[in-house]
Amino acid sequence: MKRLNFTFILLGFLSIPLTAQAADLWGIDGEEKARVQATVVDLLCELTGQCADNCGDGKRQLGLLQDDGTLLLPIKNNDIFAGTTADLAPFCGKRIEADGLLIKKDKITMFALQFKRELPDGKWSRANWFTRDWAKRNGMDATRWFENDPTIKAELDRAGILGLPAVTYVPQ
Amino acid sequence: MKTLTFMAVLAVGGFLQPSAQAAGAERVTITGELIDTWCYTSEIMYALGTAHHKCAVWCAVGGIPVSIRTEDEQVYVILKVEEDDTSVANPRLVKIQTHEVTVNGDLYTRDGVNYLIVDQVADDHGIVHINHEDFGIQPF
Repeated sequence: MKRLNFTFILLGFLSIPLTAQAADLWGIDGEEKARVQATVVDLLCELTGQCADNCGDGKRQLGLLQDDGTLLLPIKNNDIFAGTTADLAPFCGKRIEADGLLIKKDKITMFALQFKRELPDGKWSRANWFTRDWAKRNGMDATRWFENDPTIKAELDRAGILGLPAVTYVPQ
Repeated sequence: MKTLTFMAVLAVGGFLQPSAQAAGAERVTITGELIDTWCYTSEIMYALGTAHHKCAVWCAVGGIPVSIRTEDEQVYVILKVEEDDTSVANPRLVKIQTHEVTVNGDLYTRDGVNYLIVDQVADDHGIVHINHEDFGIQPF
């Protein structure tokens, strides 16, 4: 079942048409479609007062602070294996509308971001700016960015795919 | 209700917590495995140990938050490690992804999330969760 869910989500990342502007369900327990209005905040700053210019210039996890004081953790964007900072950092300190999935688990409450726009009247855009930016930085197609990323290649070369440098994985 | 449920879960975990709208922090020492928060909490695949290490590196570099998952299955999202206040594709966290660590730090709980400010990585036991022979490589 979990494998089926993952396949569904993977296909979704790769094939959802760009014209869609409403969240899709991803088949995750506890998910519900949600569209929220919130201010983009630097989570470390919001919680501790340790702030940085421009919410950390894309190097800090960002949050969605709703008007009632609820703080959401945006954890995943619409790109495969990617978070939301590239999509949210340009809106640091600004109010946006975020469309996606609110996922409530016993362990954690989190938000999967699928579309966003600046309020009051910004244009909707898909939450896929991680791969957009990655493609610009690396000068290649980002569809399978995780297999071509230089940082990932260096780390997996160093420690191996198991994280155990001395052990070679042999498929069963 | 959400707050009550969350507090109940934490109480089972054996940790004292501040209120959900935490103005301050709770000093904690936590031992657990560094995980890819999305794959583990969404349960879209098996997401622990050597079986999931490669994907955990992908996701950490992709900017998905890295957390510590304790033995009692609580999840602590890391926002800072010692003097390094970055938490997106943090090179130190990428290098110790999947390791079991013991950390000291400040815990903030708010709206269903445990946020952890690590001020000391007291111990790094390396990867102790060896499970690739049971689960293969997740997801591929």
